[in-house]
Amino acid sequence: MATQDTALDTRSGRRSTAQRNALFLRIAELAPIVIVLFVLFGGALVLALLQSLGFAPWFGINTFPDFSYFGALWGSSAFWVSLGLTLYYGLVSTIIALIMAIVLSLALIKPFRGKTLYKYLYKLPLMIPYTVGIALAVLMLGNGGILSRLMALVGMIDNPGDFPQILKTHYGWGIIAVYVWKQVPFMTLAIYAVLLGIGRETEEAAAILGATRRQIFFSVTLPQILPGIVSSTLICFAFNVGAFEAPFILGGGYPDTLPVVAWRYFNDANYAFQLQGMATVVSIGIVAGVILFAYLAVYRRYERMRGRA
Amino acid sequence: MARKATNTFTHLSPFQRFYLVAVAALIVGPFLPLIIQSLAFRWAWPNLLPTVWWMEQRERSPIPLAWDYVLSPYSRVYEATFNTMVIGIAVTVICLAICLPAARVLARESFRGKNSFEFFLSLPLIVPEAAIGIALLMIFINLGLAGSYVGIIIAHLIPTIPYMVRMLTAVYQGLGREFEEQAMILGASRWQILRMVTLPMLMPGVVAGALFTFLVSSNIFLLTFFLGQGKIITLPTLLFSKISGGTLDASAAGITLIVSLPGIILLIISERFIKEEAFGKGFGN
Repeated sequence: MATQDTALDTRSGRRSTAQRNALFLRIAELAPIVIVLFVLFGGALVLALLQSLGFAPWFGINTFPDFSYFGALWGSSAFWVSLGLTLYYGLVSTIIALIMAIVLSLALIKPFRGKTLYKYLYKLPLMIPYTVGIALAVLMLGNGGILSRLMALVGMIDNPGDFPQILKTHYGWGIIAVYVWKQVPFMTLAIYAVLLGIGRETEEAAAILGATRRQIFFSVTLPQILPGIVSSTLICFAFNVGAFEAPFILGGGYPDTLPVVAWRYFNDANYAFQLQGMATVVSIGIVAGVILFAYLAVYRRYERMRGRA
Repeated sequence: MARKATNTFTHLSPFQRFYLVAVAALIVGPFLPLIIQSLAFRWAWPNLLPTVWWMEQRERSPIPLAWDYVLSPYSRVYEATFNTMVIGIAVTVICLAICLPAARVLARESFRGKNSFEFFLSLPLIVPEAAIGIALLMIFINLGLAGSYVGIIIAHLIPTIPYMVRMLTAVYQGLGREFEEQAMILGASRWQILRMVTLPMLMPGVVAGALFTFLVSSNIFLLTFFLGQGKIITLPTLLFSKISGGTLDASAAGITLIVSLPGIILLIISERFIKEEAFGKGFGN
């Protein structure tokens, strides 16, 4: 959508002093954010890529372009298992959190007693660090934890060893529990905000026209809250794929998720492994990038089909 | 029929009622055993309550043993709290200075490539943190910034800027131009307009953005852990070091409660400030 401003700037060829001043002001106003993000964020990504291709003169290594680090990494089956684990934890927790968040937002939109208090309460996990969630998972879900004690109380198990292992397994239910606990409020906030913005009129109209509740949800509500769903699931999935602390503490050990693998490479005394770590980091970025951009592309296509964008 | 239809929109179904209670229990429930754990002296499996509470040992320690440790300098809680505050405040101030002018342009002006630019501003939210963290660490080691406040503060800007700029843009959009135009007609200078008209009107939004940025910064683990190099600890990294073995003793429970405290305080004072719009805004539309 070309706008009047830019049209004036570029097509007339001549700019008045006022216009030029406005342009300079605009550039000056955008400069800090552009510089910070381009230099830090872009710079970090470019450097990571260069290093993973063998450019590390500060270690006395410069074999750029050298694909052997990627070759070694992608050639090992451990990498693919790690990648699978990383995506599995990320995907399962995002899906569970999303379903829970949609149900919660649909309940929150209705009036009920104590709603003001509830709106404080449900945001609690959003406000505190992931490490707190991990501590709570250790306390609740560990073999000597509260859940295990409750099961002993009702006579289901006789000693802590009988408790089904939740933490430190490759099924990762402890990790998933932490992500879900922390991200349901985040997704609910996003979806609830969209619900507030659109009002309930279209749903009521559908109900009066005789739509069933299932029809109303899938044909009216879901398409409306899709922007909130897409943005919050994108953010949460990307976070889950790149997170370190939960898989490090609650994971099942080797094979680890990719961020933990990268960290171990990186802390290796052998400098050459740092480049391997960089290749791991870049692989995380590439995989996450491909998945997220495909997701966005599908979503945009859907919006275009509906004629919304 | 119509009455029934309205009912489904204004009343919770029994399932929804149950669900709200269940979610609340899942969210708040675990904090109860956490508090008990921090006050326990001996709490063996399978007891649901400690067999020996600290009170029964009070001749040995006037305050709960775990809390005695948590509140002593040995736990490094004060150091971590101080670092979290300093880093959070610095990040918030710098972030505001960077995002405020950008938010004005994004809210008020249109230019070619604006959509792509906004997408670029959201990118840090969807690039895995581990990738950024390790890559930045390499740069910062070479610049001598690893393990320094400056390095951590700079790194924290990456995940905070996208939220801050979204929240401030929403605030600017909600603010009409009329008052500024009036001031301009009355002969106010650009600086006067900014100082006496725009900023006071932006204030509530700025406070909300600042609180939220502080919150995000104080919750960051990975970037602090990677870039702090163990030299600078904040509350999340302190807790990580206490629980990285996979167990939670009484003092770790106390530290967990301390680490939750800033978030709980911010929740109480900021609930009404948090603009839900900033979260509802989608990617690429």
